Amino acid sequence: MLSKPQKRISKRGLTVWKISGALHSLIPFVLAIGAIVLTFIFDWQMWIIGVALIIFALYAYLAIKVFPTVRWKRWRYEVRENEIELQHGIFIIKRTLVPMIRVQHVDTHQGPILRKYKLATVTVSTAATVHEIPALDLEEAEELRFFISNLARVAVDDV
Amino acid sequence: MSEPRRLHFIAAVSNVLKTLKDSIIPILIIVVFGNSEGKIQLFITLGIIALILVSGILTWLRFTYRIEEGELRIESGLIIRKKRYIPFERIQSLDLSEGILQRPFGLVKMTIETAGSGIEAEAILTAISKNEAQQIQEILSQSKKAHIELDEQIETEQKEEQILYQIKPGELILLSSTSGGVGVVISAVFAFLSQFSEVIPYEKVFDELSVFITGGVMLISLMVFLGFVLAWLIALIGSVLKYANFTVRKVGDELIITRGLLEKKQLTIPLHRIQALRINENPVRQAIGYASVYIESAGGSLKDADSSKVMLLPIIKRNRIREKIETGLKDYQLTDMFVPAPKRALRRYIFRGLFFSIPVAAILLYLFPVWGLFSLVFVGLILILSYYRYKAAGWTILENQLVLRSRFISKTTVYLRKNRTQSITMKETYFQKKNQLATISAKAMSGSGATGGDVVDLEVDDVLSIYKWYSYTPENSD
Repeated sequence: MLSKPQKRISKRGLTVWKISGALHSLIPFVLAIGAIVLTFIFDWQMWIIGVALIIFALYAYLAIKVFPTVRWKRWRYEVRENEIELQHGIFIIKRTLVPMIRVQHVDTHQGPILRKYKLATVTVSTAATVHEIPALDLEEAEELRFFISNLARVAVDDV
Repeated sequence: MSEPRRLHFIAAVSNVLKTLKDSIIPILIIVVFGNSEGKIQLFITLGIIALILVSGILTWLRFTYRIEEGELRIESGLIIRKKRYIPFERIQSLDLSEGILQRPFGLVKMTIETAGSGIEAEAILTAISKNEAQQIQEILSQSKKAHIELDEQIETEQKEEQILYQIKPGELILLSSTSGGVGVVISAVFAFLSQFSEVIPYEKVFDELSVFITGGVMLISLMVFLGFVLAWLIALIGSVLKYANFTVRKVGDELIITRGLLEKKQLTIPLHRIQALRINENPVRQAIGYASVYIESAGGSLKDADSSKVMLLPIIKRNRIREKIETGLKDYQLTDMFVPAPKRALRRYIFRGLFFSIPVAAILLYLFPVWGLFSLVFVGLILILSYYRYKAAGWTILENQLVLRSRFISKTTVYLRKNRTQSITMKETYFQKKNQLATISAKAMSGSGATGGDVVDLEVDDVLSIYKWYSYTPENSD
């Protein structure tokens, strides 16, 4: 039977996702506040406030708690000598196989939040597709990039 | 050249100018629509310009490149820091160009193309001295020398020529008249109506008809109908002109495709750049036993996007494809043996069809109580299509070749070789998992983008076996 990828991404990645979830929740927050203010100004019915608050709460709960947790739990990766395997997805679980000899280049990048938590995202590009391993420990990401680009170079170029 | 280097300062100037050019419209808007006193907008404008200046210089400061361990290493980014390491083996071409900014300072702009995907495939060194450019080129050509010598050897070999395909007049008409979906439908309706001409007593209807015509309703619908026919005719003629004299020749290791009556076009495709083979059967052509064959090739850059999706055999009898492909593209083996999707997948195919067609029909029925009834025909058609989609779903593996068959409207069969497949993904939704079904998706390169095949709702064990076939790890492929 096929072995599933085993490695998880950094636990700090979960924190970063929660933070960015919280930032995303600002949008429904502002909308909800707007709805409440308008309700008072124009004497709309009071249940609008309730609905606005519930929508905001639901969004925040999903974006801060549920989605990051599920996403983190699902995310697995493994870099073998001959291939990279990824598994992720909240609703649709995707398992992807990228042979090392198909890898064209490897990049790392980090945004402000990732940098604060010493994390980085690794992207692996083939001739046709781009694959991302998010929120890895910085050193691990550097190592991985080094490792992959070394292995990928051994391969013959037959594109 | 292993120590990190910056670009020439002109790169910063070029960055700033480019950003200024891009933001000229927002700045103009601020200037034009500001209040009349003008102070605030002046400050905002100056602020934006200062910001662009500072960020342009900082971006320039951050951007470094170096050559280290056979890689071109570029580090950049003001807010998001990027490191891009490009191994020399992956570099497809180095283009040099001199812009107005570069020329007075004896600088060049170097564009590094890799075989990667999309815009990300390129790295650009905006301004470097000619010396440095030369150095980089030399280092690169040294590491590539081995490859070049090999290519030259092939060049000197004797080339043999062979005509693979030549379109016949009948086929050309068939191709042109069945290419546009709308045209097909209209002509079908027309043919259908003409069947009734004997049945309907025209003389008797004529009096009432003239009332109609003067009422204008008939006239308008007649005009619309004629318009459709005219559009279809124009499309037909255009298509005839485009595909006339369609000829495929195999010369040595290249396919040469020529076509066109007024404007002649020629396309040369080296066999080793072919990434995938695709057989397309639209419903009308399928009904009369014809298909079209496309090849996907690795185009070098975005410039010749035309050459990535190439029609190889525009229209051909299904049963003759095999012989053509086997003489022309020896790497591919055609097959008719497919492992179908399991019976329990049919339910999901039907459900997916109904999932969007029933709400649409319901809305139409609600809005137009009588005419909306026609939307039921639409639901019926979707049901039939869903069934045929289920029937089309299938896969097979022949040695180093994966074949995926599916249908959206046209039936598509994709042939992918293992060494041309860039990645394979299996997908499972919650409901698929419950039914032990999964989706397979294989990607190959096409031009500078991706192409590939997807088959939904196959047996999960089948999908796993495709996955296993693709895996390069020995314990997996056992």
